[in-house]
Amino acid sequence: MVQMTAPAAAPKAPAAESRPSLFQRFLHAREASTFLALVVLFALGTLIAPGFLGANNFLTVGQQIAQIGIMAIGVTFVIINAEIDLSVGSIYGLGAVVAGLLMTSDVAWPLAALGGIAAGAVAGLLNGLMTVGFGIPSFIVTLGTLSVYRGVTLLLSGGSPISLSSSDPNVAEFNLLGQGKLFGLLPMQLVIFALVAVLGAIVLSRSRYGFNTYAVGGSAEAARLCGINTARVKITAFTLSGTLAGLAGVLGLSFLSYVQGVTGTGMELVAISAVIIGGAALFGGSGTMLGTVIGVAFIGVLQNILNLRGISSFWQTVATGGVIILAVAADNWLRRRSGRR
Amino acid sequence: MTSPATITISTTAAAVEVTGLSKHFGSVRALQDVTLSVPAGNLTAVMGENGAGKSTLMKILAGLDSPTTGTVRVNGDEVRRFDPANLLSRHRVALVPQELALAQDRTVAENIMLGVEPGSRPFPHRRRIDERAAELLDRLAVRIDPRRSVRDLDAATQQLVVIARSLAREARLMILDEPTSILSPAESERLFEVIHSLRAAGVTMLYVSHRMPEVFALSQHIHVLRDGRHVGHWPTAEVSPDTVVAAMVGRELAAEFARHDTPAPAATATPRLRTRGICGTGFTDVDLDVAPGEVVGVAGLPDSGRIELLRGIFGADPISGGELQLDGKTFTARTPRDAIDARVAYLPGERRQQGILPTMSVADNVNILTLGRRQRFGLLRRRALRRDADKRAGELRVKTSSTAQGITQLSGGNQQKALLARWLSIEPRLMLLDEPTRGVDVGAKAEIYRLFRSLADAGVAILVSSSDLPELLTISDRIAVMAAGRVVGVIPASEATEEKVMALATGAHTMKEKA
Repeated sequence: MVQMTAPAAAPKAPAAESRPSLFQRFLHAREASTFLALVVLFALGTLIAPGFLGANNFLTVGQQIAQIGIMAIGVTFVIINAEIDLSVGSIYGLGAVVAGLLMTSDVAWPLAALGGIAAGAVAGLLNGLMTVGFGIPSFIVTLGTLSVYRGVTLLLSGGSPISLSSSDPNVAEFNLLGQGKLFGLLPMQLVIFALVAVLGAIVLSRSRYGFNTYAVGGSAEAARLCGINTARVKITAFTLSGTLAGLAGVLGLSFLSYVQGVTGTGMELVAISAVIIGGAALFGGSGTMLGTVIGVAFIGVLQNILNLRGISSFWQTVATGGVIILAVAADNWLRRRSGRR
Repeated sequence: MTSPATITISTTAAAVEVTGLSKHFGSVRALQDVTLSVPAGNLTAVMGENGAGKSTLMKILAGLDSPTTGTVRVNGDEVRRFDPANLLSRHRVALVPQELALAQDRTVAENIMLGVEPGSRPFPHRRRIDERAAELLDRLAVRIDPRRSVRDLDAATQQLVVIARSLAREARLMILDEPTSILSPAESERLFEVIHSLRAAGVTMLYVSHRMPEVFALSQHIHVLRDGRHVGHWPTAEVSPDTVVAAMVGRELAAEFARHDTPAPAATATPRLRTRGICGTGFTDVDLDVAPGEVVGVAGLPDSGRIELLRGIFGADPISGGELQLDGKTFTARTPRDAIDARVAYLPGERRQQGILPTMSVADNVNILTLGRRQRFGLLRRRALRRDADKRAGELRVKTSSTAQGITQLSGGNQQKALLARWLSIEPRLMLLDEPTRGVDVGAKAEIYRLFRSLADAGVAILVSSSDLPELLTISDRIAVMAAGRVVGVIPASEATEEKVMALATGAHTMKEKA
């Protein structure tokens, strides 16, 4: 309401006068609360977790969050569209199994990897086509395909695990994707995540497609009346989400040299949580890539601290869920206090 | 006109005393120092144009909003807590809103008795609920089966259910907010009978409307608000509709729009828009011409098809038949994109749901149609876009601290100006405007009217649909009146009056005779 009492004038002049300081702008950014929470968690980790501070530990965290992070980038597009994709965990498994089957059939590794990614892309495209075509909520569509794609993955794998033998040079090269280190230091998975995140951020904040994503997510009807093909925007988002989940699955296979039909189960919830913790609203129209990356880092650091403290993974599951609720509640509270939406 | 301050009505005890009431939303003064009294047992009408402050006043009286300053007394008891539950339970004030909120899947009786069910708390007595509801409906002389599901009722009947519900809570003051806006003439008649029963039952009523005939038929007192101020008050028997209209419109504003003196565009010139026999959902067989530089108003009740007609021309909904021409060439918009490419603009009436992009900035809202011009290597040039937005928003004098501000932080009028800036960015040759000043304060309204006039003078053709008759009479060169999906008459501005338009729009003349 403060702005409304400002004297009427051309918009330019007062903007120059009352330009908010960098700090103020930071506080008003949607990512601020998540970022502050990450800082607090960081301080906590330093205090209570032995071996938390250290380059090696951070690279380990980076390695661990890369796959979830890549999935979360795709899910961000879907959520800003005011849709949801519950099937990414299953698509992760599908991508991994398809790539695994191609590898065991001695297909050259780049083709096998592309095959896994393509399987994810097709799965995502189908999610989009069904959501838009049937005009039913994506919650329902992807709840269905969560099961369908998992079933297909189990059928493809025949119920038995797929192991890649590292004595095969084709496999050895493939494994570099998930296990290799750039300059002998940076985990390759983390590098790929960083690349995907930067590309995703550019597309979301600087491209026309990104602009349309916010428009459609904020008000699909208003966007349509502005000439935007809302169906295409949404289908593209689901396809992106599927593609990136497929890519994450391929990286997972490369990391472990091993995949089975149930691989990736439950990962969709972690990916969605990261996006929500990162400040994207489930109503759509808001959220940023930076927020998602911070959200992913938050979950990664939290699990790392619990690991270092030797706390059981059962408790980690409990903690992750609690944090989601806390994060959204805190964000809500902060925004209401600062009078911002 | 008598000054409101000198008039006192004291034959009956005032049921409601409003003293010095003001309501500010930021810099917008929705109500300024309003003082009025509503005598018990009477029906008092509150009239005013859209944006005059009627709704704000009613919201405060119903406890949906609290005043910035001033007091409200109900039967001498000052209202201290403005929330609907308090006003209903303590002061017995109930609102019958324009948008009815009923539990659609419950029965009529359950809706009426909701919260005041007879029987012990967790297990209300179903048969007694039905009986009690039937009794209330009887008192209103309304025949509805209390066991029917509300979903199966039309809007008019649902409205009666809301009235019965207020009665079940022993409301002594009922606020009826534009109750006939959703009703057909026959349904309105039925409502008027119910209103007579309510009066007989000793219920005081506040009746908000801008429909002259019904106000004169029903009320004992008329109050007029304009620009948030109380500008007139008369016993109905002692005032003429003309006086009330003059008070509602206000001379200042009316004078400002002395009609432009360019001659009406020649009928022989190729019209900018020509429709021949076009049909679509909600409208049938519409023939309409709009010349370049002409403002054609479309009047009609909300269900007359005028809203759908604009959407059809724009390609927002499909057109099923007939021919459309733009500057003499056949034109069919299958999607809004086609229309935009042909430089046709459409300002939707539901600004919040269909106009603004609520999560985006003013700049983004203004720029959305011209992103393609500001791209390099597939990336948007943010700085150039920002300059575009500053320029466009500045030209229309959108009041905002910065175009980077979120659009939802602007007032309704400024949001609308931002949306107009958006549509002007495509240099439209035809503008389709639906309720262009709904929820817009009076100052911005005047600016928007001037903008339309200057656009028309520059050769833009404007087709504007509105439920605000004074507005249409002010800005249009011709008025096409629609009823039941058809154009039932086209009146040149020089001959148009509110009564003429209304008579055509309602199809029947029942209302007029009543007045």
